[in-house]
Amino acid sequence: MEAAKRWRVSAGETEAWMDRAVNMAKDALENGEVPVGCLMVYNNEIVGKGRNEVNQTKNATRHAEMVAIDQVLDWCQQHKKQPVEVFTHTVLYVTVEPCIMCAAALRMMKIPLVVYGCQNERFGGCGSVLNISSATLTDTGEPFQCITGYRSEEAVEMLKTFYRQENPNAPKSKVRKKEFSK
Amino acid sequence: MEPDSKRRKTTEPDGTCAWEVRPVLSEQESREVRLMPVYAAPVLDKKETCRLMKEVSAVYPLSDYPHLKRIRACLSASSPHPLEMILCLAGLNGEQAGLRTLAELFPNGEVDLSGLGKPFLVHVPACTPLTRPQYEEAASHWPVSFHENKRISQALKGCLFSPLEKERMQGYMELAIQAAQRGARQGMVPVGATVVDPATGRVLAVGHDCREGSNPLLHAAMVCVDLVAHSHGGGAYSFQDYPACTFLPADNTSQPPPPLEDGLPYICTGYDMYLTREPCTMCAMALVHSRIQRVFYGAPSSHGALGTTHHIHSRKDLNHRYEVFQGILEDQCQRLARLSDHKESS
Repeated sequence: MEAAKRWRVSAGETEAWMDRAVNMAKDALENGEVPVGCLMVYNNEIVGKGRNEVNQTKNATRHAEMVAIDQVLDWCQQHKKQPVEVFTHTVLYVTVEPCIMCAAALRMMKIPLVVYGCQNERFGGCGSVLNISSATLTDTGEPFQCITGYRSEEAVEMLKTFYRQENPNAPKSKVRKKEFSK
Repeated sequence: MEPDSKRRKTTEPDGTCAWEVRPVLSEQESREVRLMPVYAAPVLDKKETCRLMKEVSAVYPLSDYPHLKRIRACLSASSPHPLEMILCLAGLNGEQAGLRTLAELFPNGEVDLSGLGKPFLVHVPACTPLTRPQYEEAASHWPVSFHENKRISQALKGCLFSPLEKERMQGYMELAIQAAQRGARQGMVPVGATVVDPATGRVLAVGHDCREGSNPLLHAAMVCVDLVAHSHGGGAYSFQDYPACTFLPADNTSQPPPPLEDGLPYICTGYDMYLTREPCTMCAMALVHSRIQRVFYGAPSSHGALGTTHHIHSRKDLNHRYEVFQGILEDQCQRLARLSDHKESS
């Protein structure tokens, strides 16, 4: 927790990064993906960014945060830095509260601070469904701090738009499935 | 290393398995029976029972506890009265429940108290029993109603799977164990996983933990989810450095490809995963997102999220639930798990 307390970000900074995260989410929406976008910022530099790419990869775990973590790992390799050193000094800006899976991943990567827009009522891992972010678990990474509420209305609006148009890739109902599988 | 020698080790001469499949139930199903205090009183005059039931229930309906039977028969020959009746909850507001007189419990005279004896405190089950063990425990305190779920009872008795099914399950777990061992020879944490389509019996992917490589999040379950994605023409990672991580290419089968609308990208719909070790929270939630149907793991893990620290597979507030069983080739998996705990802490 001590590490988390050191990570304060100014409101101006937050606005600017969240603006970019929102744009990533818009990109996801335009590509038929769940509209979540995120940035990972280390020393005032974007070292990873991601948007949901579940449909593109046919892998349901390709959430924006997981994509961004992979990019940071690549960045570390290119810049010959230890991932632990970079991740423990990186702030994540994401439009929606990380889900339980991503919250667990962020703990394991030891990210100290997450700034997010709206709550994730369905899967949220930072309080909405489970509180993975602040749980005291000795053997699974470190807890992280959350700051929430930035650009949350836009984030919710994008999610609503997405779910209104219905996910064309979501599993069809059982009745429909039977019709197809001769 | 050969499967043959392994089978001899884990199968008894008469063909029965040396391991058991145990269901990992939801938190509600696996928890201990909770008790709460109520006031009860003996029914001294049996003929008054029906009337007393009606009048007491009108004042104290106990509608939040439909599992509780109002009356219990005292079968013991030494018991001075044949029946006892629940009157009302005691100490619901947290105050110390002391003894009360009938006049205190029914101050408004709505109940004709003739036929009732002196009230006493008794602890009764607070929740509806969901499994037979919970029912047996609950009923030892006070009679309760129970709607048995046959499938869960069968699972708890260990007779949900036939010997043939258990043999197949052993084969799938052996593939996971072999992958774990091959991964370990490349310096990886020895955890392995297999993904099977139970409808066809085909093994779709076999993988091992790769977290010691370039990505610390590539746990065995995450690897297998991505290998299945590869087999469906997607995928995010390259596993060319890990020859023990394999998948069944979609175009390499005699089976017709799954219809496009059949769950893509939720491509683990209907599939089973065999894991040598209970998965962590990240992996357990990844399997919710992937819509896995069942998970079988060998040995529990101290940070496992399918029964140990959480019950991610059976939460009503998540949009998908899956069945979980543990114990398949438990001894071998336990040995691997001990190795991996050692590796992770070093």
